[in-house]
Amino acid sequence: MYLVGEFREQRALESAIRTLRASGIQPADLDLFSEEPVELPRGVLDRTSRMSLVSVLGAIGFGAAATGFVWWSQHDYRLVTGGMPLFSFWATGVITYEMTMLGAIVATFGWFLWESGLVRRRDPSAPVPEVDPGSICLRVRCGADDVAKASETMRRAGATAVARRGEP
Amino acid sequence: MSATPELLPYKRIREDLFRPLSGISRGYLLTTSIAFIVGAAGLAAWGYQLRRGMGVTGLQRPVFWGFYIVDFVFWIGISHAGTLISAILRLTDAAWRKPVTRAAEAITVFALMIGGMFPIIHLGRAWLFYWLVPYPNSRLLWPNFRSPLLWDLTAILTYMTGSVIYLYLPLIPDLAQLAEHNTTWRRRFYRAFSLGWTGSDREWHALERAMKLMACIILAVAVSVHTVVAWDFSMALAPMWHSTIFGPYFVAGAIFSGIAALIVVMATLRKVLHLEMYLTRHHFDRLAKLLLLMSLLWLYFTMAENLTVWYGNEPKEMAVFGARTRAHYARFFWTMVVLNFAIPFVLLGIRRLRTIATATIASACILAGMWLERFVIVVPTLANPRMPSAVSLYTPTWVEVAITSATFAAMVMLYLVFAKLVPIIAVWEFKPHPQEED
Repeated sequence: MYLVGEFREQRALESAIRTLRASGIQPADLDLFSEEPVELPRGVLDRTSRMSLVSVLGAIGFGAAATGFVWWSQHDYRLVTGGMPLFSFWATGVITYEMTMLGAIVATFGWFLWESGLVRRRDPSAPVPEVDPGSICLRVRCGADDVAKASETMRRAGATAVARRGEP
Repeated sequence: MSATPELLPYKRIREDLFRPLSGISRGYLLTTSIAFIVGAAGLAAWGYQLRRGMGVTGLQRPVFWGFYIVDFVFWIGISHAGTLISAILRLTDAAWRKPVTRAAEAITVFALMIGGMFPIIHLGRAWLFYWLVPYPNSRLLWPNFRSPLLWDLTAILTYMTGSVIYLYLPLIPDLAQLAEHNTTWRRRFYRAFSLGWTGSDREWHALERAMKLMACIILAVAVSVHTVVAWDFSMALAPMWHSTIFGPYFVAGAIFSGIAALIVVMATLRKVLHLEMYLTRHHFDRLAKLLLLMSLLWLYFTMAENLTVWYGNEPKEMAVFGARTRAHYARFFWTMVVLNFAIPFVLLGIRRLRTIATATIASACILAGMWLERFVIVVPTLANPRMPSAVSLYTPTWVEVAITSATFAAMVMLYLVFAKLVPIIAVWEFKPHPQEED
């Protein structure tokens, strides 16, 4: 079951999130909806991200694959190089560099799509509130027993409206 | 109009920035038609060249690089306007960047599309372009990865991919907004490209993180791309090309011409789309100061490059130096110095003269000057090779002029279409905070 509370002030929203979390609701069960990014103080509703790690891994992967491919292709068809090495990092370093960067770009974009949930299957029962300009909606997933308490918490914190959604 | 856009009601901001997307004025139609005709003439000229061969151009021994390579370097330079400037401003969290970034990022994508065409046009047999792509072909050959041509291919491919993504990411929230406020085919278009954006904090968080990471990556790529373009020249043992300074010289020149292009585009958009409230004198003033700084840096590099050659007095290099500064190409060289330094220095350096109009004039001069700079770098060296008997002159033909003109028309056309499809200023970045709105 879901509850959706609408807030006009960020302070009220922060207070509601803190109280809800203190009452045992997990951050994964809380979602904010707004027409602009909402910056909350650290510790209120932190979202961890592995995007930097994925970006670095993508860079290493692409760079290594490109270097390996260049090395292999230069040995697969041997050009006459007049005694110079068939594979020289000086001459192919640019390819390695650019492909490393391409790997970082592709991995970052791919992980953005995954982490934001844009390419993942969504829970069809989870309501997506229509957000009025200037307001922020807080969606809370909770059990039937906790609905009344969570609703009261949001109202007390300063929600202008609270509605039940996704009832069975 | 003294209001700060950030303090305007959100409804007003959205109306102002979404308004240009609807309706087509007579001026818009006329400009698009002219751009289309010039572009079509360029395509016809290219078709003629494909049919008749490279003999229809002015390229002949020893000048095998002419307008096409000049255009290639010029447009790749222009492409530095967007992504690089936007990334620097985003990373430094410059508050005044908001109305500037999207216009700049769009320049990058379109300039790269146009610039990337030139190596293919220059190939002559353009239909064999795919030979550059490493694939297991019937002759068991692989491309020569030691060639700067392959470096160019990978660098431009990476920059293009990064720039398209960097432009697209901050577009997603605006596309979702547009999907709500449109009907018919536009709604389907916006909905498809907004990927089902809902505005959740997970999406915003991922978007902001991705934008920061992409800004860091794109900075490194942008610098490398123009360095690689410079290495196309400096890897050759040709007089006045084989120079260690070429990498940074080209990067500085690219940023210089990029900022100039950005100012011209911004001034045009401001006037045509009535965005005076959003693209203010303040933005132009900041960019004009940056342009002035780059003009001085450009002069420094140009001096360093030419003075070293003159002082060294090496005969083959002096032949090129003489051709550039005293002989056949001197008119281009000195015009370049006037356009890139003298005019901007006066118009932008004297505070009383620094207005939106003068910044635009100075920028237009710089664009012309930077095109001439590429010409002065490419042609005199090839026309004065180490073999004295091979000295020659280069005169472009109507085919090259038509194709070059078409690229400018293509830029105008692409930009006009873009400005009708998406807001040229990121709407969500301008939104006031909930408690500020009234």
